[in-house]
Amino acid sequence: MRVLVLHAHPVAESYNGALHRLIVERLAARGHVVDDCDLYAEDFDPRLSREERIGYHEIGPNIEPVRDYVERLRAAEALVLSYPVWNFGYPAMLKGFFDRVFLPGVSFNIVNGKVRPCLHNITKVAAVTTYGGSSRRAFLVGDPPRKAINRVLRVIIKPAAPVHYLAHYDMNRSTDATRSTFMARVAKTMDGF
Amino acid sequence: MKVLVVYCHPVPESFCAAVRDTVMGALSEAGHETRLLDLYAIGFDPVMGCDERRLYNDMCRDQHPMPDHAAHLAWAEGIVFVYPTWWYGLPAMLKGWLDRVWTPEITFEINKQSGVIKPLMTHIRALGVVTTCGAPRWWSYFVGHPGVRTLTRGMRALFARRCKTVFMAHYLMDVSTPETRQAFLSKVHARMKAF
Repeated sequence: MRVLVLHAHPVAESYNGALHRLIVERLAARGHVVDDCDLYAEDFDPRLSREERIGYHEIGPNIEPVRDYVERLRAAEALVLSYPVWNFGYPAMLKGFFDRVFLPGVSFNIVNGKVRPCLHNITKVAAVTTYGGSSRRAFLVGDPPRKAINRVLRVIIKPAAPVHYLAHYDMNRSTDATRSTFMARVAKTMDGF
Repeated sequence: MKVLVVYCHPVPESFCAAVRDTVMGALSEAGHETRLLDLYAIGFDPVMGCDERRLYNDMCRDQHPMPDHAAHLAWAEGIVFVYPTWWYGLPAMLKGWLDRVWTPEITFEINKQSGVIKPLMTHIRALGVVTTCGAPRWWSYFVGHPGVRTLTRGMRALFARRCKTVFMAHYLMDVSTPETRQAFLSKVHARMKAF
């Protein structure tokens, strides 16, 4: 399977960096073709510009500013996201990827004012993430990052495609034991991907 | 009250700009002192870099990467966010502003043992969120309004305990009409005048 791995963390030697390497390694070992897109390393600009916003709905020309990323997304059969949760959301780097690359004609179409998802080439999704705060605190806030995957991303990919959401909560109080348990969980999911 | 208006939209002639002007006008009419922070106009960089991230958890006040932005937060008694909802969330530009500007020792303090977060922005007693959404209302609530909740639940937890929250959204923007937009602006004006 051709898997696009989207990674967004500024520090390579961080725990998220280790998770990213683990994901790529395990997927490749299983024979998947991995397109490893490290948004920081590729110096992606997450800001949707004035010109892009004005041309947003012109299907065709709207992909020009990010053609390379659109082609990589279209070539993929599965998507793995690797990022930290900051302030109950994606880091700007990854949020900007959705803003700029998940365009009309790429991930959805608008028919009579209604959104029709069309990113049906993606048949599997996994999100691997870390939260500073506890799961209880995230739950009280409504866990927006979890819903962004399980409800928002889920509906634009192939209908009924499996979605895995793997989160290590409470990173601020994590230990070697909790971190390695989570690594094992990620490894297992990637092995069965 | 001193109110900081944080505005984020790339197109100066957009409907969001009209919303911003309405917010600013209503706040002034009500006698509030206002400051406008237009993130696209100032060319804000929303990307937290490597060194900044390394420092983040132990960042002290005088290491803040953008002291002028930190000063805006210290000055404000009320904050109003005006932005378009994209992919049910905040535009990357605005998300990056929260991530880079709202640092420890300025906005919160974490007890390393208990993990409990102590809010440090208790001088903020009113929060406004004014946004536009392409999606319908019911669907926005079903997906959990991730962008809005980042602000009204996540960030609000750092404000005064009894902080007032005002939330307004124009849904279904792609099929909006001059009438729906005007009605929304009138509503924004009325509620911001009473902010």
